[in-house]
Amino acid sequence: MSDTTQEKLQLGILSKDVIKHIDHWCTKFPEEKKQSAIIPALRYAQDAAGGWLSEDLIKAVADYLDVPHIKAFEVATFYSMFDLEPVGKYKIAVCDNISCKLNGADKIVDHIKRRLGVNCGETTEDGRYILRTCECMAACTNAPMMQINDREYHENLTLEKVDEILDDIDKQEDGK
Amino acid sequence: MIQKVKMWAKSFTLFELFKGLGITWRNMWRKKITVQYPEEETPVSFRFRGVLALRRYPNGEERCIACKLCEAVCPALAITIESEPRADGTRRTTRYDIDAFKCINCGFCEEACPVDSIVTVPESHYHMEERGENIMTKEKLLAIGDMFEEKIAKAKKLDSEYR
Amino acid sequence: MIEFEIDGVKVKAEPGETIIQAADRAGVYIPRFCYHKKLSIAANCRMCLVEIEKAPKPTPACAFPASQDMKVFTRSPVALKAQRAVMEFLLINHPLDCPVCDQGGECELQDLSMGYGEGVSQYTERKKCVDDEDIGPLISTYMTRCIKCTRCVRFGDEIAGMPEIGAVNRGEDTEISTYVGKSVKSEVSGNIIDICPVGALTSKPYKFTARAWELKQHASIAPHDCLGSNIYIHTASNQYQKGREVKRVVPLDNEKINETWLSDRDRFSYEGLNSENRVTRPMIKQGGKWIETDWQSAMDMAYQGFAKIVEMKNPDAIGGLISPSATTEEHYLFQQLLRAIGTNNIDHRIRQIDFSDSMDSPTFPGLSINIEELEKQDTIVLIGSNIRHEQPLAGVRVRKAWKNGGKVLAINPVKRNYNFDTAKEMTVGISNMVPFLSEVVKALADKYKNKRFIEWLKDIKPSQDAIDFAEEIDKGVETAILLGADSLSHPQAGAIKSLVIAILAILQKGNYGELTTGANSAGAWLAGAVPHRLPTGENDSAGLNAQQMFSQPLDGYLLHGVEPEFDVANPQQALTALRYAPHVVVLSPFVSETMKDYANVILPIGAFSEISGSYVNVEGTTQRFRSANAPMGEARPGWKVLRVMGNFFEFEGFDYKDLEEVQMSFKEESDDDRKFERPMLYMKQDFVAHKPKGLIRIVDWPMYRVDATTRYAKSLQKTISDEERSARIHSKTVKQLKLNIPSGHMVEVIQNDESIQVKLVIDDNVPEKHVYLPAGLEETAGFGEVAGIVEVKIP
Repeated sequence: MSDTTQEKLQLGILSKDVIKHIDHWCTKFPEEKKQSAIIPALRYAQDAAGGWLSEDLIKAVADYLDVPHIKAFEVATFYSMFDLEPVGKYKIAVCDNISCKLNGADKIVDHIKRRLGVNCGETTEDGRYILRTCECMAACTNAPMMQINDREYHENLTLEKVDEILDDIDKQEDGK
Repeated sequence: MIQKVKMWAKSFTLFELFKGLGITWRNMWRKKITVQYPEEETPVSFRFRGVLALRRYPNGEERCIACKLCEAVCPALAITIESEPRADGTRRTTRYDIDAFKCINCGFCEEACPVDSIVTVPESHYHMEERGENIMTKEKLLAIGDMFEEKIAKAKKLDSEYR
Repeated sequence: MIEFEIDGVKVKAEPGETIIQAADRAGVYIPRFCYHKKLSIAANCRMCLVEIEKAPKPTPACAFPASQDMKVFTRSPVALKAQRAVMEFLLINHPLDCPVCDQGGECELQDLSMGYGEGVSQYTERKKCVDDEDIGPLISTYMTRCIKCTRCVRFGDEIAGMPEIGAVNRGEDTEISTYVGKSVKSEVSGNIIDICPVGALTSKPYKFTARAWELKQHASIAPHDCLGSNIYIHTASNQYQKGREVKRVVPLDNEKINETWLSDRDRFSYEGLNSENRVTRPMIKQGGKWIETDWQSAMDMAYQGFAKIVEMKNPDAIGGLISPSATTEEHYLFQQLLRAIGTNNIDHRIRQIDFSDSMDSPTFPGLSINIEELEKQDTIVLIGSNIRHEQPLAGVRVRKAWKNGGKVLAINPVKRNYNFDTAKEMTVGISNMVPFLSEVVKALADKYKNKRFIEWLKDIKPSQDAIDFAEEIDKGVETAILLGADSLSHPQAGAIKSLVIAILAILQKGNYGELTTGANSAGAWLAGAVPHRLPTGENDSAGLNAQQMFSQPLDGYLLHGVEPEFDVANPQQALTALRYAPHVVVLSPFVSETMKDYANVILPIGAFSEISGSYVNVEGTTQRFRSANAPMGEARPGWKVLRVMGNFFEFEGFDYKDLEEVQMSFKEESDDDRKFERPMLYMKQDFVAHKPKGLIRIVDWPMYRVDATTRYAKSLQKTISDEERSARIHSKTVKQLKLNIPSGHMVEVIQNDESIQVKLVIDDNVPEKHVYLPAGLEETAGFGEVAGIVEVKIP
């Protein structure tokens, strides 16, 4: 159903690497159920586009998978791991659910707030970090915990440990 | 025999006459209930259902939203409403007519109104001279509402205690 | 069969059926919002919670399959408590603005909160607000009222194939939205108004004009396509109005035809009824000026004109054209009048240009299966059919067949935008329709070694495409071949039909269907509104057909519900003939400037809601209907005008007292219950490609320009895109023509020395060497013929 001009457009927006990943994910689902690949496809597209999804990018993914645009928008707006506006490069998510809270999650959030000079949900001025609180990630045994960029878990946090982690990132970034 | 003597004694002493004059005398000193209409008027209940009116909000916006509940509830079929979206997209009437001859002043419209727009004013001084004046148009009803707003507000406040 | 109990009543159900389905059948009402019998099960509103014996929690009846000896309680304390709680929950964010809401009075949420809700809510927090979206001129949105039942989303996905609306965001923030602010473009979009249980989606043309309780409901039949969808016409009146005004049209359930749906054309065309172009008094032209007059003098003038032609020349100098959407009774009286005058120049096939197969045609062109059975076909072949626009609800059935795993094949002059995938789609242009079909027939004949057809098509060599196509058709078990408007108004329509019949003859299986234009083409054939056939079904010496009446100009014309500048296959020729004709009588509900130009007498007749009569749909079902309101002004029902016209001529047999007598007379002469018979095989055609030199103009009638009523319906007109009003040309052809301008610029299109200026749209869906410029538009009013030769220039 998608026409040729649209296909050209997608190739511009979606990099070859992303398309390779999407194609790989498509093989895991039946041919007619390409819709199932929207989540992994959007994830790769987001990573490649600097951590957030623009409207055009979501449309391009939908066109590539040959599903209606709205289906991709539904998914992109539903999951909190997709950002629809430009955000910091490192997404810090501190769990503030019961176990973490009892073990001092609030202190950790406050510490990060002071260190970065932002409130929850805000991006630092240099665009490096965004601080968020999140719901339970099933790491209660090692509470408190935080997650960076939707994949790295950091557990048994103390204020020192948080500083260490952020220092590492700063060093890595400044070194570039 | 005794009866006859009693009768004779009564009529001889003008007893009945003085009894009657006694009532006159008593009433002479009572408070008068006659009022000199139109210079004077009897008091009217705040629940009196007199002339109909359409009210406005304090900012001048008409209250009526053309829900047509009054039209539906009117037992005399006196109300005719036509409606359409106004330029700002709100639901408004383009015609709101009450035939005062059909209206039986039952006040159902007032009860049905969700926005207290159509009200019966405790005011009975109105009349018509020409044929056709019995149709109370939207303009007329709003004008009546503007004229009596203070009175209506007061009456509704008093009435609210009983609701 | 499973047997179980609902509220102590024994109920039977098929295995796999849900509780709510069984309960509905048994007449036990279970409250619901998201469940709809025609849509998939979502179970997200939780309103249908019921108690099931031994189940730990209340269970949604819409999603729980019935099982043997189960005991269901819909009114037990547990169920009632659950329903009340859900109701309170749904009302947390629902505004209590019923007095301004158009759904008020017919709202499922309102009704159920009366029946199942509590008087007081425990929630005192502020309600949530959601921004509205503009989704087009037909549907108005008020998204704060939405309760997220997702019926509209599912309708879009499953029935209409318009995946434009979805549920975005999450949890409490969920919104039904198009997300990017698109307008919803579908030929059946209006149905989301009906299925919305609250007032979130309401009708824009009807917005705020009436309340549900003041409307009177009249069952009727939709007058725009050959399916004859069942409708309810809702009318209202007040003391200031003479007669009742049509306020809206909603579907009437009929599983055999329209299920619970209605196309937008049938739903919103009523706006045309109240158009300012309605003619309310008879009008005559005197000394070049139009004056309004009474019926007597207008009828007299109409009669005198025809009588003079009969006297001075002969009756054959008179011709009559009637709209295919007129009622059977009108068709019957129309032909009776003209045949009594002494002419056979009668036709309703206003968009046809090839009449070569007339004599061999069956009782009426139609469908050899029921409309219902369309969705059970495993192979559907569309030949020259833009089914979504021509018969939107037949399109819904085809889509259903495709969803059920069926396969759709198509041969079209231009590539059509279907809402189903086609297994094979050929875009062949006007000129290659017949050659390609003959190749398909030859390929099939070769395969089955059918000597008769091999001999018939001995010069034809099938291409690989044709062989593949034939193979696909052959694979089907239940096959339906459907001819659409592009085939029926094709210059070689007869050849196309004979080739399709040949395919069916070779395969010895499959179903045939002509999806005719207009609402009552079948009725017109049965009533004898064709030049060569009487109501009895016998062939007569043929009079002039719809084309010949204008190519061989006549002296007198009688037009019934036709606007030739828009409606006929060759508007230019028609207008010329009409302008030169000394006497033109028009029976029409509408008047236009063009009509005043060519007509001598205009007689106002009732539009569709204002007349009684019957329609015969494409499968041959006769459906009678009664008028919903009185004709506007002094207009009269068409059949009465024709009857009185007969009286002016003093003809016998025109003394009908009422419509029933017309129907009786028609029944005596013809049998309107005659079923469709598949056309006979005729093999006289020669298959020369229709290949004129130059650019060929592909013509169709846009969905909302098919008849006068829809053309005057304002909201429908707003949905016609600029693209549909443009000349669409293939990019290569644009280069060949040296049109060095981008899409959107004006071009001059010249046909038969007449030129118009329209926008150019470069569109590769149109085959090369063709210009796709629809008829029926204001831009192309009175312009040249279907499949004519055009020139395109930069002005």
